[in-house]
Amino acid sequence: MTINVDRPCGTFDRNYYQAMEIFRTPLRKFLMIAFIVVMYILGFIADDYILSLLIVFCAFSVGMTGLQIITGYAGQISLGHAAFMGVGMYTVATFQAHLGFNFWMALPLAGLFPMIIGMVFGIPAIRIKGLYLAFASLAAHFVIVYVISNWRSVTNGTDGMYLHRPETLLGIDFMIDKYYYLLVLTITIIMIYFAKNLTRTRLGRAFVAVRDNDIAAEVMGINIAHTKILAFGIGCFYAGIAGALGGGYYEYVNIEWFTLTDSIWYLGFLVVGGLGSIFGAIAGAVVWKSLDELSTLMTPVTEALMGGMAFYASAAFTLIFYSLIVIVVLVLEPRGINHRWQIMKRSYRLHPFPY
Amino acid sequence: MELFLKSLMLGFASGGIYSLVAVSYVIIYKATRIFAFSQAGMLIIGAYVMWQCLIVWSLPIWLSILISLAIGAAIALIIERTCTRPLIGQPILAPIVVTLGIMLLFRGIGLLFWHGEVEGYGASFLPLGAWKIGFMSLPKIQAYGFIVCMVVIALLISFYKYTRTGLGMRVVHEDHLVAQNLGINVKRIFQFSWIFSCMVAVIAGMLLGNIQGVGLDLDANGLVAIAAVLFGGMESFGGAVIAGLAIGIIQIFVIQYLGALMPGEITMLVPFVFLLLILIIKPYGLFGLVRIERL
Repeated sequence: MTINVDRPCGTFDRNYYQAMEIFRTPLRKFLMIAFIVVMYILGFIADDYILSLLIVFCAFSVGMTGLQIITGYAGQISLGHAAFMGVGMYTVATFQAHLGFNFWMALPLAGLFPMIIGMVFGIPAIRIKGLYLAFASLAAHFVIVYVISNWRSVTNGTDGMYLHRPETLLGIDFMIDKYYYLLVLTITIIMIYFAKNLTRTRLGRAFVAVRDNDIAAEVMGINIAHTKILAFGIGCFYAGIAGALGGGYYEYVNIEWFTLTDSIWYLGFLVVGGLGSIFGAIAGAVVWKSLDELSTLMTPVTEALMGGMAFYASAAFTLIFYSLIVIVVLVLEPRGINHRWQIMKRSYRLHPFPY
Repeated sequence: MELFLKSLMLGFASGGIYSLVAVSYVIIYKATRIFAFSQAGMLIIGAYVMWQCLIVWSLPIWLSILISLAIGAAIALIIERTCTRPLIGQPILAPIVVTLGIMLLFRGIGLLFWHGEVEGYGASFLPLGAWKIGFMSLPKIQAYGFIVCMVVIALLISFYKYTRTGLGMRVVHEDHLVAQNLGINVKRIFQFSWIFSCMVAVIAGMLLGNIQGVGLDLDANGLVAIAAVLFGGMESFGGAVIAGLAIGIIQIFVIQYLGALMPGEITMLVPFVFLLLILIIKPYGLFGLVRIERL
C-alpha cells in the first residue's frame, strides 16, 4: 500500500493512530473543509450553466471513483463502466415509471441493481484475470445494451425514458437546480468518503494485494475470486449511483448515451487522472467533463477548421483530441495527473534543492 | 435444407474474415504480449483508404491495394515506435488503454476525412454477381473474399514456417530474453509483427468494406473477432482460424434459427454471449497456453 510515499523525509508514524490518519496535518484538514465549504457556497452563487457543469462533475466523480475501486485499487479492467452507469439511470426510471417509486426509494436500488449485475459479470473472475476479465466486461457492455434497447415493455427501447427528481424534502424544492446540486454534492461527498475509507479497511487492502500480485495475495489467505467479484460489485454500485444522480439532473435517459466509447473514455481518463488514488479519480472525471464542455464550446471553431457540418466535425474532433490526450499521457506520464501533482508538491516543499 | 446450406455458406464467408482479423490480433499478441484493440480501427482505415484510391482517385486495383497496404504498414510503424514501445514492461492496463485509444483515434480519422458516410466499391474491387449451384446461389464477393482470407492466412503461416525471419519471430513468441540472447533483434521483430498485423487488418477491412459497405461500423467486426481470438486461444494461429470460422457460422445460424425468437439486432449479442460462455467454461480457449505462474 502506498503509505510512505509523498511524505517529507523525517516524517514517521509514531503510533497506529497516526498511521491511520486521513489528514496528516491541520493545514490539510483545513484545506479540505474549506474546499467543501466553497463547493457548497458555489451552489448558492453560481448560475445555471456553472451548476450544470458542477452537477456533471459530481456525478462523474462518483462513477470514476467506482472505476478507481475496480481498476485502480483491485487492478481489474472494466470496459463496461458506462453501461453500468446506464443501468443505474434506467433503474431509477423504470422503478419510477412502473412501480411509482419516488427518487429516494429508487436511489439505493439504482446502486444495488448494477452491483448485482456487475457481480454476475464478475463471476468469470473465479478462473481468469487481467486481459481476459477485460473481455468479460466488454461482453457485459454488449449484453446490457442489448437488453436495455430491446426490453421494450420495461425500458421503452431506444426511445429513452423520463425520470423525476426527488420531491421536496424538509421544504426544499429539488426541481430548482441550485438545491438539486446541493443534494448531488452531499451524496458525492458521502460516496467519496466511503470510498476513501474502504481503501483503509481489510477489504481495501485485499484489493491492493490482489492488484499488486494475486498469487501472493492468495498465499496470504485472501480469497481472490471473492475479492475481485466484490470489487466489481462495489465499483458498479458507484456507477449506478452516479447514473442516478446524472439522470436526475437531465430527467431523461437514453441508452444511446452509454456507448463503448464512453466506457473507454472512463478508463482512459481514469489513467489520465492517476490510478490508485481517490484524488486521481476526481481529477480524471473533472478533466474529462471539462474537455466535453470545451469541445461543445469549440464546435463553431472546429466547424470552421474542418469546413464541415457540426455533426461530424465536432464528433471527429472529440474522438481525435481525447484519444491523443489519453495516448500521450499514458506514454509520457503513465502515473497520471495525481503523480504530477505530488511531484509539484514535493518540489515546492524542497524548493531551493532538487531533492 | 436450403436455409441450412445458405447459412453455412454465409457463415463461412463472414467467418473467414473473422479468422483474418483474429489472426491479426494473434500476430501482435504472440510477439509483444499486447492485445492490440487498435486492429479493429485499422479495418476502418483500410476500407476507407482503399475506397479513396479506387473510387475517388480511380487508380488501378493493384496500385490501390499496394497503397492501402503501404499506408497500413506506415501506420503500424508509427504505432509501434511511438505508442507501444515505451509501454514495454508497463502493467497490463497501459497497453490496453493505449490501443483502445488508437482504435477510437482511427474512428475519429475516418469521421474526419470521410465524414463517416457509408460508401461502396461497386464492381471495381471484387466481381459482383453470383454463381448458380443447383438450387442456391453463391455470391461471388463472399466466395472470393473467403478465398482471399484463406490465401493470406496460408501465406502468413508459411512465412512463419519457412523463412529465417519467421523462425526468429517464432523464437520471440517463446521468450523475449532467450531471443535476444540468440542474437535476434527483438525490436525489429516487434516492428515486423505490427506491420504484418496491420496489413492483414487492412486486407480484412477491404473485404469487409466490399461485403458490408465502407463505414465506421466496420470496427464492430473487429470486436466480434475478439471472441474468435479467445475461443481459439490467444497464442494460436490455427486456433484463431478455426475459431473465426466457428464464430461466423454460429453467429449466422443463431441469427437464422433463433433470430425470430429474440427481439432486435443480435449480431453483436451472439459472439459476446459466446465469449462469456468460453470465459466460464474454458477460459484459455481451444489451443491457448495455460500459463502457470508462480511467485
